[in-house]
Amino acid sequence: MSSIGTGYDLSVSTYSPDGRLFQVEYANKAVEAAGVAIGLKCTDGVILATERLLHSKLLVKGANRRIQSVDDHIGMATAGLLADGKHLGSRAREEAGSFRENYNDPITVQILADRLSGYTQAYTCYGSVRPFGISTLVAGVDKTGPRLFCIEPSGVHYGYRATAAGKGKALAKTELEKLLGAREGGIGVKEGVDEVARIIHLVHDDNKDKDFELEMTWVCEASGWKHAAVPQELLVEAERKARAALEEGMEED
Amino acid sequence: MAVQFDGGVVIGADTRTTTGAYIANRVTDKLTHIHDRIYCCRSGSAADTQAVADIVHQHAQVYTAIYGHAPPVATVAALFEKMCYENKDQLSAGIIVGGWDPEVGGSVYNIPLGGGIFRQPWAIGGSGSTYVYGYCDATYQEGWNEEQTLQFVKNTLALAMSRDGSSGGCIRMCVITKDKVERHFIPGNELPRFWEGKEVTGVEAVGLNAADMVIA
Amino acid sequence: MPVEGPSIGFDFSNYARNQFLGERMNGLPRATSTGTTIVGLKFGGGDTGEEEGICLGADTRATGGPIVADKNCEKIHYLAPHMRCCGAGTAADTEFVTNLISSNLELHAYSQGRPARVVTAMTMLKQYLFRYQGQVGAYLVLGGVDSTGAHLFTIHAHGSTDKLPYVTMGSGSMAAMAVFESSFKQHMTRKDAIDLVARAIRSGIFNDLGSGSNVDVSVITKNGTEMMRNYETPNERGIKSRNYKFRRGTTAWTKESIRSLIVSEEVKMTTGAGKTQDGVLDVPVPIGKGPGGEEGMDVDA
Repeated sequence: MSSIGTGYDLSVSTYSPDGRLFQVEYANKAVEAAGVAIGLKCTDGVILATERLLHSKLLVKGANRRIQSVDDHIGMATAGLLADGKHLGSRAREEAGSFRENYNDPITVQILADRLSGYTQAYTCYGSVRPFGISTLVAGVDKTGPRLFCIEPSGVHYGYRATAAGKGKALAKTELEKLLGAREGGIGVKEGVDEVARIIHLVHDDNKDKDFELEMTWVCEASGWKHAAVPQELLVEAERKARAALEEGMEED
Repeated sequence: MAVQFDGGVVIGADTRTTTGAYIANRVTDKLTHIHDRIYCCRSGSAADTQAVADIVHQHAQVYTAIYGHAPPVATVAALFEKMCYENKDQLSAGIIVGGWDPEVGGSVYNIPLGGGIFRQPWAIGGSGSTYVYGYCDATYQEGWNEEQTLQFVKNTLALAMSRDGSSGGCIRMCVITKDKVERHFIPGNELPRFWEGKEVTGVEAVGLNAADMVIA
Repeated sequence: MPVEGPSIGFDFSNYARNQFLGERMNGLPRATSTGTTIVGLKFGGGDTGEEEGICLGADTRATGGPIVADKNCEKIHYLAPHMRCCGAGTAADTEFVTNLISSNLELHAYSQGRPARVVTAMTMLKQYLFRYQGQVGAYLVLGGVDSTGAHLFTIHAHGSTDKLPYVTMGSGSMAAMAVFESSFKQHMTRKDAIDLVARAIRSGIFNDLGSGSNVDVSVITKNGTEMMRNYETPNERGIKSRNYKFRRGTTAWTKESIRSLIVSEEVKMTTGAGKTQDGVLDVPVPIGKGPGGEEGMDVDA
C-alpha cells in the first residue's frame, strides 16, 4: 500500500490514483483481526460456526454471540466488528420480515444475501459513512435447498459450498477444500458438526490467541428446518473429538 | 368461482356486466390473466377490479424481472389482499385468485370485500354465489380429476346464473395446470339445465344433469 | 400499496358550502351533458378479403338540461392519426380528456419511435378516469387500427373497459344497440358497416330525446382514416311556405329628414410644435354610402 498517508484513504468516496478504495481495504483488515467464522453447506442442511475470542476472563459464558437468527430458516454469522454485525443483523431481519409481509412467502437465502450486499455496498459510496468492518456468512435452507453466501465489506457476495472469514480463514478454507474434495457427494450435517469444530480448533492458536468459546448453529431436519443452536451435548462431543484429533495430529508431526 | 384439484385449478365465471338494469356487456371475460399460470376471478365494481388486477399484474411482472421466476400463487394473492385491504374504503372488489406454482401445485385464495386472505379448496364469490353455497357444500369432494372439477364448476355457475338476475349470459372456464392454460366457453343456449317443469322444457324430465350432479 | 398517482385531483373542501348554497338556490348548477348516441363496430377481416377496420358513428346534438345547446357539435374526437374516440357524458370532460390523451399519445409516439397502440390509449384513458373516481364524466367509444390489428373499446367514466366487436354508448345506446343486435354480422364490407352504423345513429336520433340532428361517421383502416362529417343530415330545416317580409313601401310617411349621425372631424399629424409632416396623408372619416349611410338599414336582410 504505497499510497498510505497520501490522502487517498481519508474518504470512502475518493479513489486512489490506481483505482482503489482504501477505506474498503481497511475494513477488510478489521475482518482479518477477528476470530474465524465458518459456514458449511451439507447435503441435508447448513452449519454456521464461530470462534468467539474472550477478551476477559470475567465475561459471562455465552455472552456476545456472533451468530444471529434472521428468519425461521436463516442464520447469519459475522466476522469483524461485533456492533456492525448486530446492525446488519437487524437490517436482515427487517428485510426478511418485509418480504414475508409483502409476498406471503419466506425469503430465500439468495434474495436476502442480495439485499444485504446492496445495503453493504451503499456504505462504500458516501463520504459521510464508513464501510462495514465485517464479513457476513448467510446460511439457511429454503425451497431451493441448503444455501450459503458470504458478503464482504465491499458489498460483493458469493455463493459457497463452504467458506470462512476472519483470522486464519486461509487455513480454514484449505481444510474445507480438503474435506469436500474427499467427499464426492458432499457431507452430512452430523459429520459436518465434528469437522467444523475440528477446523476451528485447528485454526485457533493456543499460544498466541486468547481463549475462545465455540459457537455453532445449524438448519437441518434435526432442528425442524429452523435456525437453531447445535445441541450442547453434540457440541461438547464434537469439541472432545476435535481436541483428540488435533493431539493425534501433533503426535504425527 | 375457483376449485382446486389434484394438479391444478379450474376457475369459472358467468359473462354478465350490468349498469343498473342494462347489460353493458353480455360476453365479459371475468377470468383475468395475472401471470403465466395465475388468473383471478373478478366480482364487484368492474372499474375497481380491473384497476386492481392491472396493478397486481404489473407487480407480478416486476417480481419476475427481479427474482427470475414466476411469483407463487400465495404471493399474488397477498398482493391483491394488500391492495383490497389498504383501499377498502374506496374499493368494491371481491377477488378469487387461482393458479398453479411448482411449490404447492394448484391453489385457490379467496379475497372477500374488505380484504382478508383465505386459502380454500373451492371458493365462490359475487352476487350469485349466495344461491349456491348449499350446492357446493353438498357436492364438493376431494380427489376429483380435471373433468369432474370442470363439470362441478359448470353446474354451480349454471345454477347461480339461473337464480341470480345479475348473473347470466354464458360460462367461461379455465383449467390451469403445470402443462397448460386451457379455456372453455359454454354459450348461453348450451348451459346445463335442471328441472324447470315440462311446460318450460317441453320434455317430461331433463335427466342429463341429474347424473352429472351425482358424479360431480 | 395504496393506488398512487400524481398528487393532483379534485378539491372537496367547498363541498359543504356548495351543498348549502344549493339548498338556498333552486338546486346546484349542472354541467352541459351530451344526451348522445355514439357507436362503433369492427368490420372486414376473416377470409372475406375485405380490409379490417373500425367504423365509428355519432349524432351531433349537445344538450344542457332541456335545451339543445348545439345542433351540430362534433363528438368524434381525434386521438391520433389512426385512432378516434367518440365521447358521451359531460361535454367538457370528453373534450378535455380526449385532448389530453391525444397530446400524451403523440409524446408517447415520439419517445417510442412508433405509433401508439390502441390498448395504450385505452389504458391511459382508463387510468386517468379511474383516478378521478367517475368525477370526470366521460363515457367513450375508442376505436383504431395499429400494428396488432383493429381494436374497439368502450370506457366508462369510472374506468372500466370492455373489448367487443360492436358497441354503443350514451342515452341513445339502447336504441342503437337494438339495431346492432338485430343486424350486426361478422366480417362486413366497408359499405355495409357504414350503412349499419348510420342506421344505428339514426335510431338514436329519432328514438332518443337526448340525441338528434346529424350523423357523423368515421372509418379507420390501416390505409388511413376517413372522417365523414355530417354523413347524413336527416333533420334539415324545411322551407317555409310563407315569410314575414313586408313589401317596400308598406308603411306611409309624411316627412323625410336625413341627418348625418357621424360627426366629421379632421385629424392632423403633428410633430413638435404642431407642424405638418412630409409624406403623411390626412384621410377624413367617410360619410355617405355604407352602413348607416344613404339608404339606411335593411330590416329584412
